[in-house]
Amino acid sequence: MATYLEFIQQNEERDGVRFSWNVWPSSRLEATRMVVPLACLLTPLKERLDLPPVQYEPVLCSRPTCKTVLNPLCQVDYRAKLWACNFCFQRNQFPPAYAGISETNQPAELMPQFSTIEYIVQRGPQTPLIFLYVVDTCLEEEDLQALKESLQMSLSLLPPDALVGLITFGRMVQVHELSCEGISKSYVFRGTKDLTAKQIQDMLGLTRPAAPVQQGRPFQPHEQPLVSSRFLQPIHKIDMNLTDLLGELQRDPWPVIQGNRPLRSTGVALSIAVGLLEGTFPNTGARIMLFTGGPPTQGPGMVVGDELKTPIRSWHDIEKDNARFMKKAMKHYETLANRTAANGHCIDIYACALDQTGLLEMKCCANLTGGHMVMGDSFNTSLFKQTFQRVFSKDLSGEFRMAFGATLEVKTSRELKIAGAIGPCISLNAKGPCVSENELGVGGTCQWKICSLDPTMTLAIYFEVVNQHNAPIPQGGRGAVQFVTHYQHSSMQRRIRVTTVARNWADAQSQLQHIEAAFDQEAAAVLMARLGVYRAESEEGPDVLRWLDRQLIRLCQKFGQYNKDDPNSFRLSDSFSLYPQFMFHLRRSPFLQVFNNSPDESSYYRHNFARQDLTQSLIMIQPILYSYSFYGPPEPVLLDSSSILADRILLMDTFFQLVIYLGETIAQWRKAGYQDMPEYENFKHLLQAPLDDAQEILQTRFPMPRYINTEHGGSQARFLLSKVNPSQTHNSLYAWGQESGAPILTDDVSLQVFMDHLKKLAVSSAS
Amino acid sequence: MAELYVKPGNPERGWNDPPQFSYGLQRQRAAAADPKAAGAKRGPLTRRAAAAGDEARPPPPPPSPPPHGPESALSSPAPPAFPPKSAGLPPSTLPDPPLKTNALEAEEECGVEDVLSPLNEALDHCRESARKQVCDDISKRLVTLEQMWTQGRLSAPVRRGMRILTEELKCQHWDAADEIHRSLMVDHINEVSQWMVGVKRLIAETRKSPTVDLALEEQEVGTQLEPEHQRLGPGTLPAI
Repeated sequence: MATYLEFIQQNEERDGVRFSWNVWPSSRLEATRMVVPLACLLTPLKERLDLPPVQYEPVLCSRPTCKTVLNPLCQVDYRAKLWACNFCFQRNQFPPAYAGISETNQPAELMPQFSTIEYIVQRGPQTPLIFLYVVDTCLEEEDLQALKESLQMSLSLLPPDALVGLITFGRMVQVHELSCEGISKSYVFRGTKDLTAKQIQDMLGLTRPAAPVQQGRPFQPHEQPLVSSRFLQPIHKIDMNLTDLLGELQRDPWPVIQGNRPLRSTGVALSIAVGLLEGTFPNTGARIMLFTGGPPTQGPGMVVGDELKTPIRSWHDIEKDNARFMKKAMKHYETLANRTAANGHCIDIYACALDQTGLLEMKCCANLTGGHMVMGDSFNTSLFKQTFQRVFSKDLSGEFRMAFGATLEVKTSRELKIAGAIGPCISLNAKGPCVSENELGVGGTCQWKICSLDPTMTLAIYFEVVNQHNAPIPQGGRGAVQFVTHYQHSSMQRRIRVTTVARNWADAQSQLQHIEAAFDQEAAAVLMARLGVYRAESEEGPDVLRWLDRQLIRLCQKFGQYNKDDPNSFRLSDSFSLYPQFMFHLRRSPFLQVFNNSPDESSYYRHNFARQDLTQSLIMIQPILYSYSFYGPPEPVLLDSSSILADRILLMDTFFQLVIYLGETIAQWRKAGYQDMPEYENFKHLLQAPLDDAQEILQTRFPMPRYINTEHGGSQARFLLSKVNPSQTHNSLYAWGQESGAPILTDDVSLQVFMDHLKKLAVSSAS
Repeated sequence: MAELYVKPGNPERGWNDPPQFSYGLQRQRAAAADPKAAGAKRGPLTRRAAAAGDEARPPPPPPSPPPHGPESALSSPAPPAFPPKSAGLPPSTLPDPPLKTNALEAEEECGVEDVLSPLNEALDHCRESARKQVCDDISKRLVTLEQMWTQGRLSAPVRRGMRILTEELKCQHWDAADEIHRSLMVDHINEVSQWMVGVKRLIAETRKSPTVDLALEEQEVGTQLEPEHQRLGPGTLPAI
C-alpha cells in the first residue's frame, strides 16, 4: 500500500499528474463498471526548480496527424538513428543534430527522469506583457483611496517593460491617454450603449487594422511590428504620470439620488477594454484587471436596476425565474469572455463590496480566460491588498508566477480517447482520432486554450477506454498519455512543457485487486467533485446530489466486501476507505449547496474550486482540523463534533476561512489571564501555536482567506459547527455532560447515518 | 533592510479580515518555501486524521451516566481550575515565534539632507542623458519628499528605508535600491505614493546612464556603510 502512495506522490511531484486509477481497466465495458472515470488532475506548469528548461526545439513524430513529441517511452534504434513513436508507431529519422546519439549519449528527452521536460523555443518577435486596469469610481471615498494606493503600489511590482493602460468608469466610461506630457486626456463613452470592436477602435483612432484571429493557431506570432498605442504605454516611460493620474482619480461626479444605486457601466467598460486589446494586441499575454465596488446598474450587462428598493437577485429569485436581468447580463459577459479568450487575453475580477456585485453574471470572464476572481468586503482590507500583491508574486528564481496564452494538447494511446476537460479553459475544437464522442466537461476536442495560468492551476482531464471487451490488451502492455503545453512565460519566452506518462493495463476480471489497489481516492474525489460542480453550474442543478449518491452506491457495490443484504458485513479496502467521507462532505459543501450563500458567493467558491490543485481542492471538500492540547504535539483530528473538546484549541482550514476555536476550558483560562503568568508560560505557548500555524497558511494562500478567532459559545463558532460532522446533535442528548464533544443543533444527517444508509443500499440485493 | 512584521487586518471594513504581512516577510516566506518540500510533505497542516474503524466512524462515546439535573448538565464537567504549569516542552509546531519588527529601534535619526543630496546629485547626473521633462518630473517629486520629510509626515521606517536606499544607489546597487523601493511601496504606500515613483524612475535612469563617476564617493560611502550594515545585522539586507 505504501508503495502505491509513494508512486502516486512521486508522479505528482515530477509530472504534476494524479490519475484516479493508476492501473487501467483494459476494456470499455470494464472501465464503465469502475464507476469513477479514468481521469487525471494535471498541473501543467507545476513549479519544478530542479528542471532547467532546454534551449532547443522538441523533435516531433513525422506523421502529420500525430506529431507526438519524442519522449522516454519511445523505442530508439541507436544504430539506425531511428525512433518509433509510442502513440502511432511511426518510425522516424532523428534530425541531423542528433547524429551523435548512442545508448550512452542520450538527449535529455529520452531519459526516464525527464518524463516532464520544458523547451524554450524562439518564434517571432517577443511582445511585452500588458496590464489594463479597469477601475470603478463609484466607490466610497475610503475605498477609492485604498484602491488608488493599491494600484499605484502595483506599478512597482509589474515587470518594468510591461505595457499598462487605464480605463475608469462610473456613469460614463473614460479611456485615458497615457503620455509623458503634463496634460492628461481621455476619451469618454456613454455607459448605456454597447459598441462593436470596430466602433471602439475607430473612435479611439487605433490605426492598425485588427489582425484576424486564427482559431486553433493561437500562438501564431503576428508579423506586424507593434503599434504603440496612446492607451497602452510601457510602464517605465509613464510611471510618474500614471501614478499622478491614479492619485487624482475622483469619485464618479454624477449625482446619485437618495435611495438609488450609482449608475455603474461595468458592461460597457469591459467591452471597451476587450475591444481595445483585441484591436491592438491580439494573441499576446494581457491581463484586463477589473476593480469594482458594486453591481453593474446600467447599459449592457446590467445586473440590477438603480433603485435600492429592488434588491439584487437571490437564489430564491433565480429559482422563481424572477431575476430580470440575469440571462441577458450573462449573455453579454459570456460573449465578452469568449472574445477575450479568442484573443488570448484574460480578465481578472476584483470585487469588493458588502452586497453582491454581479459575480454570478460576470463569472465567465474569469472562468473562461483563466483570470482571477477575488471577492472582498472593501478595498481597504488586508484581504484585498495582499491578495492583489500576490498576483505579482515571484518564484525563487525571480520570475513572475504567471504565464499567458497557453494551449494544452493531449495525445493518447489508441486504446484511450479524450472525453473532456474541466478547468479555466476553453475548447479549441481540435478534432482528431483521440477525441471521444462522449463528453465529460468541455469535450469534443484534444486541445484547450488557457489564457492565463500560474504554477498551481490544475485542470481535470477525463478519458474513455475504448478497447473492446473481446480484444484484450496483451499482458504487461501500457497505455500512454502525452500533455503538451505551449505557453508564453512571464519572461516573454515561448516555452513548451511536455509530460509523457504511462500506466499498466489490467484485465478487470482476473486482476481486479491490482486495479483496486491502484485507486487514488483523493484524486478520484476531486475529479468526481469537479464533474459534480460542473454539472451543477451547467445543466442539472439539484439532481447533482442524486447523481453523486448513485455513483457512490455503485462504487461501494463494486468494490466493497459484503454478504448480500447484510449491512454489518460491509467493508471497504484501505484504498477506498476515505472516499465515502469525501463525498459526504462534498454534499454539504458550498460547491453543491447554495443554501446560506448568495449567488455571487457560490460563483466565487466554484471558481476557485475549478482551478486549485489536489491538496487545496481536498481542503475545500473536507476542511482540515488540527487539535492543540497539553497532551502532545498538534495533531490532525476528525472533522467531527466529537473533536470539539473543552481543553483543546482547534484550527480549521476550509481554504476560504481559517478558524481558530478555543475550547470552553481554554477560553476560561485565557479569560483568567493565565497566559500572562510566568509559571504558566506553557499555556501561553499553547495559545500561540495555532496562531503561528495559521500564519504559515495565511502567508502563502491565494486568495487570502478570512481569519476567524473565536471560542466556545462565540457567535463565530458557527463556522466550525457548520462544517464538522454532526455526530452528536440535540437529539442525541445522552452524550451531554461527557467529555465527548459538542452537540450540534442541526437536522442534517451525520456521517454515521449516511454510512449506514450507504451500506444498506450497497449490500441490498434489490438495487 | 526589509521590515519583518505582521499587523492586524482592518476589521472595521472587512469582516474577519486576515492580518497583513510586510513585504519583507512575504518575500522571506516565498524564498523559504521549497516547493519540493511542500510537495513532498504537503506542508505541516495538510494531514488528515485517519478514519477510525473501517469507514470513518468515530469511536462511540463512552457509556455515560444519566444526565444530572439541568444545572449540573450545564455546568458539567467542572473545568480544571488551572492549566498545568510549565514543565514539559511547549507544544508548538514552530520553533520560533514570528519575527517582529527589528533593527528599527537601533536607528539613529538621519537628516533629510542625508537622503536628498545624494538623490539630487544622481538627478544631476541624469540630466546629461535623460529628457528634461523626465528630470523635472523627478525633481518635482523629490521636492514633495523633502516637504513631507521636513513636515514630519514620514514615519521612522520610511526615513530609514530611504536612507539605505540612497546608500545602495550611491554604491550602484540598483537591484538592492529597487527592492527597497518596492518594500516601501508595499508597506508604506500611503506615505510614499506621491513621490516614490520619482525615486523609482531615478533608480532606473541612473542605472541606464553611462557609468557615473561616483567612484570617489563610492569609496567614501563604502567606509561609511560598513558599520551601518553590521549594526543592522544579518537578515536585514534586502533579498535580491
